[in-house]
Amino acid sequence: MNDMRELTYLEAIRESMSEEMRRDEDVFIMGEDIGVYGGAFGLTNGMIEEFGPERVRNTPISEAAISGCAVGAAMTGMRPILEIQFSDFVMIAMDNIVNQAAKMRYMFGGKTSVPVVVRLPGGSGAGFAAQHSQSLEAWMAHVPGLKVVQPSNAYDAKGLMKAAIRDNNPVLFYEHKLLYNTKGEVPAEDYEIPLGQADIKREGSHITIVATAIMVNRALEAAEILAKEGIEVEVIDPRTLVPLDTETILNSVKKTSRVLVVYEAVKRGGYGAEIASMIAESDVFDYLDAPIRRLGGLATPIPYNPTLEKAAVPQVDDIVVECRKLMNK
Amino acid sequence: MATEVVMPKLGATMEEGTIVSWLVPVGEVVEEGDPIAEIQTDKIVIEIEAETTGVLLKTVHDAGNTVKVHEVIAYMGEEGESLDGLAVTSPTGSESVDQQQETTVEAAPVTSAQAGDKIRRTPAARKLAEENRVNLQEVVGSGSKGRIHKVDVESFLAQNAKRITPLAKKIADDQGMDYKQIDGTGVRGKVMKQDVIIPPTDSGQTPEVENKRVPFRGMRKVIADRMAESAYTAPHVTLYSEIDMTNCVSLRQDLLPVIEKIEGQRISFNEIIIKATAFTLKQHPNMNVSLEGNEIVFHSDINVGMAVAVPDGLVVPVLRNVDQKGLAELTAESKKIGKQAREGKLAPDDMQGSTFTISNLGMYAIDGFTPIINLPNAAILGVGRIQKKPVVVNDEMVIRSMMTLSLSFDHRIIDGAPAAAFLTALKDALENPLTLMI
Repeated sequence: MNDMRELTYLEAIRESMSEEMRRDEDVFIMGEDIGVYGGAFGLTNGMIEEFGPERVRNTPISEAAISGCAVGAAMTGMRPILEIQFSDFVMIAMDNIVNQAAKMRYMFGGKTSVPVVVRLPGGSGAGFAAQHSQSLEAWMAHVPGLKVVQPSNAYDAKGLMKAAIRDNNPVLFYEHKLLYNTKGEVPAEDYEIPLGQADIKREGSHITIVATAIMVNRALEAAEILAKEGIEVEVIDPRTLVPLDTETILNSVKKTSRVLVVYEAVKRGGYGAEIASMIAESDVFDYLDAPIRRLGGLATPIPYNPTLEKAAVPQVDDIVVECRKLMNK
Repeated sequence: MATEVVMPKLGATMEEGTIVSWLVPVGEVVEEGDPIAEIQTDKIVIEIEAETTGVLLKTVHDAGNTVKVHEVIAYMGEEGESLDGLAVTSPTGSESVDQQQETTVEAAPVTSAQAGDKIRRTPAARKLAEENRVNLQEVVGSGSKGRIHKVDVESFLAQNAKRITPLAKKIADDQGMDYKQIDGTGVRGKVMKQDVIIPPTDSGQTPEVENKRVPFRGMRKVIADRMAESAYTAPHVTLYSEIDMTNCVSLRQDLLPVIEKIEGQRISFNEIIIKATAFTLKQHPNMNVSLEGNEIVFHSDINVGMAVAVPDGLVVPVLRNVDQKGLAELTAESKKIGKQAREGKLAPDDMQGSTFTISNLGMYAIDGFTPIINLPNAAILGVGRIQKKPVVVNDEMVIRSMMTLSLSFDHRIIDGAPAAAFLTALKDALENPLTLMI
C-alpha cells in the first residue's frame, strides 16, 4: 500500500466501482439521475464519460421497476450496482429484494445466484427530514439471504465495495450521507475487505463500544474525551451487520467486561439489540461486570428542525455520558 | 424494626472515626452491651457496644474505613429481618437500597442458597465469587442499588484472604505476631518480610510537631498486646533496693582497658549487672522460671533478655547462658546484639528463649521504675542511674556511687520472700563484685 492518497468516502466508493467496472465488464451501475447529473450526491460524477450510457444507466423514478430490473439482470449473469437515491425509498423495492433477491439462490438449489449490490445512502443530519433520513438497515439484516454492509470511513468503503461487488449474493450497501465528504487515506491499488470482518478502531481496556456507520466516528471522538478522564474505550466497528464478526466483539467484551452498543437507528428493534443479545447469550456473559447498554435513536420520525434532528440520534456527548455511567456502575 | 448503629461522637472535636475491626460477623446474635466494633479516634481506641439485643444485620463500612460522626456504620435488628423501608446508606453514597435484593440477612447459613439468588451481582462478580468460594452475602456491593461488581469481590478477597509471603509468615509466626492485622505493602495488601520485621533505624529525624496519625499495627501492636497481656494477667509486685556501686565503678575502670584490648569494645555497667544477675539467678533457681500452661518450668539455662529501645518501639534480644560467659565475651555479645537491634537486623531466633529480662534506663535521669514483666519470664529487673550520693557507712557520712534496682515479679509463681532474697543476694554480688570471680 505504497500509493496512499487522501480520498473522501464518496470518492472511495466511486473509485471502487470504477475499478471493478474496468476489471469486469459484467459490472454496471444503474439509478436515478446517476448519468450526466452524477447522482443526488454527485457520487457517480464522471462515470458516464468513462463507461458510457450502456454501463451507467439512468432509470425512471420507480424503485419497484428498477430493483426488479437489477435483480433480473443479476440472475441472468450481470453484476449490477443499483443506486437507491435515498435509502428510505427502498421500501418500494422491498418485494424484489426480500421476496425475490434473497430467496432465489436458496429456492433454486444454488442453480442461480443474485450478485447485485444495492447502494443505500442513509442516516440523518443533513436536514432532509423524516422521509429521507432514516436508518432502516435492521429490516434488511432480518432477512436471511441478504448481506448488509455499513462502512464508517473511506478506506473501509472502498475495500468493502469491492467485496460486495464480487460477492455472489445480494448485498445492501448502506452509505452514510454525513460521511460522504469525510476524508481518509485510501490506497490506489486494489484491495478487498472481506464481509464479516470487524475492525478494532481503537484499543482500550475499560469499555467496549460496538458502533456502526457514523457512530464509529462519534465513538472515537467520545473515546478521546473519556481518555482524559482515565476511561479507556475500545471501539469496535463490525463493518458488516450480516455476516457479523461475533468473535472480535466477544473477545473485546471479555477483555473490558463492559459494553455499550451505539447505533443511529431507532433503539427499539434496531440492530444494536441483536448485538447486545448476542453478547448476553454468549460465554462472555460470565465476564460482564455491568449491564449491557444500548444507545440508539429516539422513537420518533427524524425532525426537520436541525436542533431536534441532532437530538433524535446519539451524539458524542451522549456517548461520553453513557460511558461515565457504565464506569460509575 | 432494624436500628441504626452510628459512628459515635466521642468528643467535641471528633469529626470522624476509624473502624478498627468488627468484633462480630454479620448475622451474629449480640446481647445488649456486647462490643460489636472497635473504633479509633484521634485519641483512643474504644469499643462500640450494642444498644439492644439482636442480630447484626449489615455492616455498611469495612474495617479500616474512616467514617464521619453520626454516619450509619451498621444495622441491628431481629433475626432474618429485612431492611425494607430504611434508607440504607451504602459506602459510595446515600441511595435507597432495594432491600429484597441484597441486605436481608438470613439467620442460618442453611438458607443462603435461596437467599443467594436474590443478591444483585454482575455475572463477572458471580463467577469470581464462585471460583474463590466467596459467599456473596458477605460482600458489600458498590454498584447501583447495592449491586456487587467484580471489584467488590476482589476487595473482599484482598481483605479476607490475607496474602503473605512464606518468609513473612515464618517471621510473623516466630514472633507470635498476628499478621492478619497488618496492612501489607505488597501487591493487593500482601504482607511482605519488611512488614513483620523491625523497621530499620532511620536516625536523625526531628520529632513531628503536628498531630501525626499512625496506624496501630506491626511492632507497636505486638508490644501493646504483650504489655497488656502481661500487665493484666500477671500480678506484678515490684521490690526496690539501693545498691552501692562504688566497687563496680572501680572494677569497670580496671577492666575497661583489658576488655577493650581483647574485644575492641568498652565494657559498661550493663554487662556487669547482667553478669551479676546471672550469677545470682544460678543461686536462686526459683527466680529463673516461667509459667507454661499447668506447669512451672524451672529453666536450666540462664538466658537474659536485654530490653533495647529502637526508633519505634522496643525489642528484647537474648544473651544465652550468661552464667557461663566471662565479662569480655558478654561485652562483645551485648554490644553486637544491641547494634543489630537498633539496625533492625535481629533474626527472630535472637529474640527467643529468654528466662529473665533486664531493662536498663540508667543512661537517663531515672532512679527507679516498675518494669512490666516480659512474659513468659517470671521476673524483670529495672536498672536506674548510678549517682554519687552521701550515704552512711560505719556511722560516717561518705560519698558513694548509688544505684536503685527494681525487681518486678509475677506473684502467681514467685512469692515476696524468695524475690526479696534474690534481690538482696544480687545487691551483695554487685557491692562485692569480686564474688563473681569465685
